[in-house]
Amino acid sequence: MTFLSRTQVIMAIGAVLLVLYVLDLVRRRKLSEEYSLLWVICTVLVATLGFSTPLLTWITRALGMMGASSTVFAFGIGFSLAMLLHLSVKLSRLGQDNHALTRELALLRSELEDLRRGGGPAGAPAERG
Amino acid sequence: MSAPRVLVIIPALNEQESLPATLAELHALAPQMDALVVDDGSRDATARVARERGAPVLRHAVNLGVGGALQSGFRWAVEHGYDVGVQLDADGQHDPAFLGALVEPLAAGRCDVSIGSRYLRRTGYRAPVARRLGMVLFSHLVSAVLRRRITDTTSGFRAYSRAVMEVCQQDFPRDFPDAPLLITLGRRGFRFEEVPVEMRERRAGRSFYTLGRSLYYPYKCLLASLMALLKRPAQL
Repeated sequence: MTFLSRTQVIMAIGAVLLVLYVLDLVRRRKLSEEYSLLWVICTVLVATLGFSTPLLTWITRALGMMGASSTVFAFGIGFSLAMLLHLSVKLSRLGQDNHALTRELALLRSELEDLRRGGGPAGAPAERG
Repeated sequence: MSAPRVLVIIPALNEQESLPATLAELHALAPQMDALVVDDGSRDATARVARERGAPVLRHAVNLGVGGALQSGFRWAVEHGYDVGVQLDADGQHDPAFLGALVEPLAAGRCDVSIGSRYLRRTGYRAPVARRLGMVLFSHLVSAVLRRRITDTTSGFRAYSRAVMEVCQQDFPRDFPDAPLLITLGRRGFRFEEVPVEMRERRAGRSFYTLGRSLYYPYKCLLASLMALLKRPAQL
């Protein structure tokens, strides 16, 4: 490897800090392992691109990009988009679960109240006033 | 089917003002039908008001929307052995006098969902222009998809058979109990029939549909309708 440029040094520090922070989040149980793995892999991937000048120039040429930095940015943005989409999917799933749980809870609650009242199944027409 | 057991499901969000009159009217005009109030996360005394009048209440801890309320009501109806579930608005827009007519096609076995339509016959109901435009659009869309003319896709005044209520536990367009629900059910081969009804002004309280939502709604509903068409049917 040749001398690292100033940009590469900054990137290296950034990448190391990000990985450390992600691991710390897992340690403090703020982030599940599943996500931490994604973040660490992607950070390493983008950092590798930044460091390995031959690899970067090869990919840049293969994709027909104007400059090497565009390639790094493109990968970074691609990763961000993928992560956002993944989060939206997770969020939809959470919403569905929440929806189902809320309905289940309402039914259980009404059943419990019926039992406490000592009545039979509430399908029997409730006395109305 | 002779004299089906009918449950009138009343989704209610902050309806303590109008609920008593709705329940009283229901009891007076359709005493043979039971009522269930689904309190969809109200912050007022909706649940207490309903219980005081002897109606069983399902209470959502958070607001899920009309669709969620309907789904809970369906489940309760199925678990308690009802043959037919009718959706009735808490605010008095739906007149219980039409309940008999609404249930009749189901009782006769002619359809699985009967829809109380404001447009089948000329009635007094007048909607704002923009809203009427949307209604016409959805009416055409749903009619084309179902190959059957549906004049009032946004009507919430509907009766559902037990089979439909069971399917809705697994396959239900969340947040969209109107046009997308009809498409979802139509794709499963359920039959529809429309019954002419008249609707009234709401008694009190606020409508589910605010200004912001009335702009967002057509977009969301159109998208959900298309999705209802394209989605893989949920495994039952």
